[in-house]
Amino acid sequence: MNPLALLFLIAGLGLIGWLTGRARAQRIDRGGAKRLHSLPSQHGWYVATWAVLPALLFVAVWASLSPSLVRDAVLEHPAAKQLPQFEFERDALLAEAKRVAEDPDAKAFDPLAAELAPATRAAENRYNWMGSAVAILLAFAGGLFAWSRIRAQLKARSQVERIVMLLLLVASLIAILTTLGIFLSLLWESLRFFEQVPITDFLFGTHWSPQVIEASNPGKSLGAVPLFWGTFFIGAVIAMLVAIPFGLMSAIYLTQYAAPRVRAWMKPTLEMLAGVPTVVYGYFAALTVAPAVRDLAVHLGMPFASSESALAAGLVMGVMIIPFVSSMADDSIAAVPTAMRDGSLAMGATHSETISRVLLPAALPGVVAGVLLAVSRAIGETMIVVMAASGAANITLNPFESATTVTKQIVDLLTGEAEFDSPKTLAAFALGLTLFVITLLLNIVALRVVKKYREAYE
Amino acid sequence: MNKPAPEAAPARAPTDWKTEAMQKRIRRRYARERRFKLFGMLAVILSAAFLAFLLFTMVTNGWRGFTRTEIALPLDFPAMAMKIDPAQLSTPGANLALAGAELEDKVSNAALAAYGAQSVPLLSDAAWLKVREALKADPSLLHQKKLLWVPASTQVEQGLRGNDAAAAPLAKKLYDAGKLHTGFNAGFFSESDSTDPVAVGIWGAFKGSLLTMAVTFLIAFPIGVLSAIYLEEYAPKNRWTDLIEVSINNLAAVPSIIFGLLGLAVFLGSWSLFGMRVGPLLPRSAALVGGVTLALMIMPVIVIASRNAIKGVPPSIRDAALGIGASRIQVVFHHVLPLAMPGILTGTIIGMARALGETAPLLLIGMRAFIVTPPGGFTDPATVLPVQIFLWSDEVSRGFVEKTSAAILVLLVFLLAMNGLAIYLRNKFETRW
Repeated sequence: MNPLALLFLIAGLGLIGWLTGRARAQRIDRGGAKRLHSLPSQHGWYVATWAVLPALLFVAVWASLSPSLVRDAVLEHPAAKQLPQFEFERDALLAEAKRVAEDPDAKAFDPLAAELAPATRAAENRYNWMGSAVAILLAFAGGLFAWSRIRAQLKARSQVERIVMLLLLVASLIAILTTLGIFLSLLWESLRFFEQVPITDFLFGTHWSPQVIEASNPGKSLGAVPLFWGTFFIGAVIAMLVAIPFGLMSAIYLTQYAAPRVRAWMKPTLEMLAGVPTVVYGYFAALTVAPAVRDLAVHLGMPFASSESALAAGLVMGVMIIPFVSSMADDSIAAVPTAMRDGSLAMGATHSETISRVLLPAALPGVVAGVLLAVSRAIGETMIVVMAASGAANITLNPFESATTVTKQIVDLLTGEAEFDSPKTLAAFALGLTLFVITLLLNIVALRVVKKYREAYE
Repeated sequence: MNKPAPEAAPARAPTDWKTEAMQKRIRRRYARERRFKLFGMLAVILSAAFLAFLLFTMVTNGWRGFTRTEIALPLDFPAMAMKIDPAQLSTPGANLALAGAELEDKVSNAALAAYGAQSVPLLSDAAWLKVREALKADPSLLHQKKLLWVPASTQVEQGLRGNDAAAAPLAKKLYDAGKLHTGFNAGFFSESDSTDPVAVGIWGAFKGSLLTMAVTFLIAFPIGVLSAIYLEEYAPKNRWTDLIEVSINNLAAVPSIIFGLLGLAVFLGSWSLFGMRVGPLLPRSAALVGGVTLALMIMPVIVIASRNAIKGVPPSIRDAALGIGASRIQVVFHHVLPLAMPGILTGTIIGMARALGETAPLLLIGMRAFIVTPPGGFTDPATVLPVQIFLWSDEVSRGFVEKTSAAILVLLVFLLAMNGLAIYLRNKFETRW
């Protein structure tokens, strides 16, 4: 059965359960012998929950199990003996058989896949019907069970509320599961990578060229230092050279100098910079900024300047970060007590002296934390560097030369056609793990800085 | 400084502000003040100017992506002698039948007959498709001669726009002869990807975006709101709750590409569990896996916004509801949640806007395929608008630059509308207690 239809059917059964449960409770109520413990609609919810929840749980489990059951059934087929032993090819053939089985218009390129298609279709049908039947049975059984339990003393409300409470808890656990999922999956794939490539080669090697990997010594061309340098150079140096002065000065101007009407218009305008999708920045960097930067470099006497320079990507990335730095600075300046500002002005200091000698030092922890968060965002930024930075891994101090970043290499490594277990693909996960750990550390340090120094004035 | 001077300091003469030195010093301080203010103003103006320049570039490059140049093509259908039955044209097999009758070749022959051999192609790859649709709409055409306007090739189009020097003289000549006209490109909103920049459209990618956003919303909104309710209203203060809080705050700062790696490893990878091979859990390249991945990414945004909205509901509301006998669940679902809804919705829309503009994680889970037919459902291979922009941006031809910028304009309009809606909601329903 079509999964959507099945879900609708289960929901329909839940609705029926709600109606019948409520009706039964109302009848008991009208009988008048005893007062109901819960309202009739709460009895309805009780029955509906029993009808829907077990069935849905079953559908979820079944959906994740049935593909492998189908696979096992297909492998039993006599023709499956001819399948290649190599897993990658075998999976491709099975996937093709599945596609042919599901889509009547599709044609199989491989005769073996065509032969396996009917078996696949049969197995899929069988397990599909089996699963749908059990799910519907479960819905009926659950609903009936709950319906039969309805009586005046039934604490329907407390029971339903307990389930709702459980649901809330489960929902909030998903955040932990996601964090764990990220960490474990990155760690798992990275460990497989480090089985093939020594971790010291990866972390301290200075030569990165994944296009040519020697099978005997893959670590030789998978040294990530150039990537770390490029990431740091583009994200933490060039981008910050743009974002910090512009972000800080615009926050100061908008909070301290600008007329309320100017502020009301300019603040959302600057925030629009943060709302522009990164792919748009990337396109702009590649189309407009990068050629301009190259022309500038040629003008400055570097005839072979790269059109994928670190400067172009860093500049645009810096502009993207401006509103981020600006709003963090805005918040921390606003948190400085007015008395300090007024005191300084009363002593005869000018506005700029008050800002640079009183407000900024007081707001410094917040500003530093904001800058750290901005760095963490910049080094995790992907599309700008994918579109505007180069793939050549150089260690250079010249912003007009090309540099590459961790995120760009992750995308490059994973979007080529490569099998899943090669060191090349797994390297992407090791890079991802490094990126994850560094951004996490930056965030933790930023939070610490804020917590430790902020309370001075509160 | 801290200790007061032990003995009375000698009385200081009051500063004479009128001396030359003091005046100079004050002037210098005021000049520095003005410079400082000017720097601030410059920072704001330059940032805004960058935004304006970006938009200006996109509009100047992109507005022509919404137009299309068409060429007049006289077609003599009876002379084509196609072996085809007019009745066949209204059946579902019409496309196949017309392809079998070599309509594509006959259309290019018609162009050759009308304009002679030229150094550049005249017709777009999509021209014969337009003839096909015309024939399907009116089968009686098979017995007529007819002049149809069909999309011109990208070279002719760019020649007419002065971007292709090789084709410019020809395009100019055709235009002066009234054989070319440029009009609104409706195909841009109804077609999908193609190799020919004249024939591309955003509908396929847009539909992919819609499907992906639907999945994202259906997952992220309930989970985000429910966990916000739990954390804000019920959670006891203990280690677990702290752990949940820390995870949510960290997830909000994790780079988006990491979520792509998560999706690739967890939803698309396969592993063995108790001897059984499990996975891949979700089909590759589909709106479903993209939506789930983006949902995990924006869930923290929704949780944080919802918590703030729930926090804003005053405790007196809860006390009043509890006082007249509501249970703790009823307090939240009947009273707190409806009052917090505008804030929650604002946060959700902002999160959805972020998901709509996101590209990087989707590249890793295979949503970068060349999608010619729009996805029919959640499990079909699909792409989304930002990824489509990324794919087109790799093409060097001038025609694709126009289409990329045009697609960017469409995306920006949608994001602007979503953010505008969020601001409107916030202003309209914001309650000060």
